[in-house]
Amino acid sequence: MKNFKAVGSRLLQLALVLWAVVTILFLMFRLMPGNPMAAYIDPTFTLEQQQQLMAQFGLDKPLWHQYLIYLGNLLQGELGQSFRYREPVGQRIWILLPNTLILTFSSLIVAYVFGILAGAYLAWRRGSWVEQAAIPLVLTTRAMPEFWLGMVMLAIFSFSLGWLPAGGTRAPGNEYSGFLDLYTSRDFLAHLALPAATLAIYSQGLPLLLMRSNMLDVMKEDFVTMARIKGLSTWTVMVRHAARNALLPVMTSFAIAVGYQLQGNVVVESVFSWPGLGRELVNAVAASDYPLAQGAFLMIALVVIFMNLLADLLYAFLDPRISHA
Amino acid sequence: MSEPLLSVRDLRVSYQVGRNFVHAVDGASFDIPRGSITGLVGESGCGKTTVARALTRVIAENAAITGGQILFDGKDLAKIPEKDMNALRWRDIAFIPQSAMNSLDPVYTVEYQLDEVLRRRGGLNRKQSRARSEELFEMVGIDANRLTDYPHQFSGGMRQRVAIALALALDPKLIIADEPVTALDVIVQRQILDQLKELQTRLGVSVILVTHDISVVAYICDRTVVMYAGKVAESGTMQAALTAPSHPYTMGLRNAFPDLQGAAAGILTPIEGAPPNLASPPAGCRFKPRCPFALDICGTEPPIVEVAPGHPVLCHRANESAALRIEAARTETWMAPA
Repeated sequence: MKNFKAVGSRLLQLALVLWAVVTILFLMFRLMPGNPMAAYIDPTFTLEQQQQLMAQFGLDKPLWHQYLIYLGNLLQGELGQSFRYREPVGQRIWILLPNTLILTFSSLIVAYVFGILAGAYLAWRRGSWVEQAAIPLVLTTRAMPEFWLGMVMLAIFSFSLGWLPAGGTRAPGNEYSGFLDLYTSRDFLAHLALPAATLAIYSQGLPLLLMRSNMLDVMKEDFVTMARIKGLSTWTVMVRHAARNALLPVMTSFAIAVGYQLQGNVVVESVFSWPGLGRELVNAVAASDYPLAQGAFLMIALVVIFMNLLADLLYAFLDPRISHA
Repeated sequence: MSEPLLSVRDLRVSYQVGRNFVHAVDGASFDIPRGSITGLVGESGCGKTTVARALTRVIAENAAITGGQILFDGKDLAKIPEKDMNALRWRDIAFIPQSAMNSLDPVYTVEYQLDEVLRRRGGLNRKQSRARSEELFEMVGIDANRLTDYPHQFSGGMRQRVAIALALALDPKLIIADEPVTALDVIVQRQILDQLKELQTRLGVSVILVTHDISVVAYICDRTVVMYAGKVAESGTMQAALTAPSHPYTMGLRNAFPDLQGAAAGILTPIEGAPPNLASPPAGCRFKPRCPFALDICGTEPPIVEVAPGHPVLCHRANESAALRIEAARTETWMAPA
């Protein structure tokens, strides 16, 4: 009963946040300078034709009316028509979203698995030369801008060594029958390697440093000392007690990192010509393709909100003090 | 007198703080007979917890046992290899910590934590472990259906009972209880102490009870070891310590505490001053700066005087203790330290 109430209030919160995001997006694009139709309307059109087009897109109506139409459309899953592609925004996003999600999750999972293991190890070996050498190295990877790292990776592994392709998701001319067919092909995975590695190198620092500092704190806890007095093996003490407890905040940070990563993707997708939501967003803004940009923003916001919800649920699942309160 | 279970001889433990060494335990010697409860008392920073932890050899990273012997069952725990030490941890020497809240892992059920000890350290199988857990819970008076609860779902007193159940799990020979009731209120303190005493008598295990509270010691202990500034000031039977305290510090402690029953024993008299800084302890007797009976000779290292069999006292004036006790009973004696 208590749990239902908690989940219910969480969902209500979610709905409020969604509404706020949607409203801000709506206003943002209408407050931007310039006429949204500029990209769409050919200069040779007559004023009459222009007004006709404006009416077609509903831009002649008062703002509050546009807002209601916008909300109504959203509720039906209608994101509008892209100015540039002359096709529904929803369709465009549907094609690009999987590319972005695959890039994000593959790189983050690698980054977190590595970061958690390495962070726990460095905490365990505190004061050793390994730790002394590793920490500055990790800080260096944190300090490298993604676009620069991406270009270096390209220069080394693609242009000089020629091991991996430079951009896109597949070699020219290759055709695949469906999503699954494409995403499991060697061709796709080879294209994924460089951008995913770039993002992974950039993101592993956060879980690593977080895990290390949590672990150092947890290792001072009485229950870890007690585990040692119990004569448990060092492995049991470190993994089952210290690492298990240190993991809690790191797992939550994963969900939040997905949101951050989607921003990072904007840069990396551009560097590697990765046909994802981030790159499309940049292009759409540059081309004043407002419906598409709005749709892409909304999609990214949705993923972030959803991941935050997941973080809350995950925490409750991992920490009995919350689920069994 | 039979061979003691544990015999600590001239134990020294030092902490490295920056470039300095703090000798937290500086030559402590005492015996723990089989089947007894021994109170290890002293004020904060006197080294009692350090002694307790040194017996398990799980000590702070910056601490080291620098000398002496810990003779337990014919082995010197100060010298045996880590592997051998680990083999007898919990199976022979168990530990009850001060704060059971922080010493139980919050993410596992109590059953998991009992099971971990019973199976990993005790070699029991799943079924035996379950049966033993239920038996242990019954022994400490908790319903067995609470085994599947998490530590945060228990009250402070209950958690302390869980900690006792954990300590008893593998039938150890010695249980070291480090301030086991300090965090609890007086009513619960008594319940836990009664339970500890009852289980100790029933199972015949030896207990070292580390506490700053001499009334707790008086309540359940058979013997006492009084520590002051890293040294053992006096040790002996409870009877001897209560009726014939022979170190001025013990006499002072007697005046400074009410008993656990709360019977007003007249005016409580504190010992003025503070214990010395162990990074640079005073020469000679460490209690000298606070002792109302200090003489010039107290500036030199005091001898260990056996005032009665099994009742050693670290004091130059130990042989005059009968006269000093009469003086010490007067509040005025402690008002203006020498």
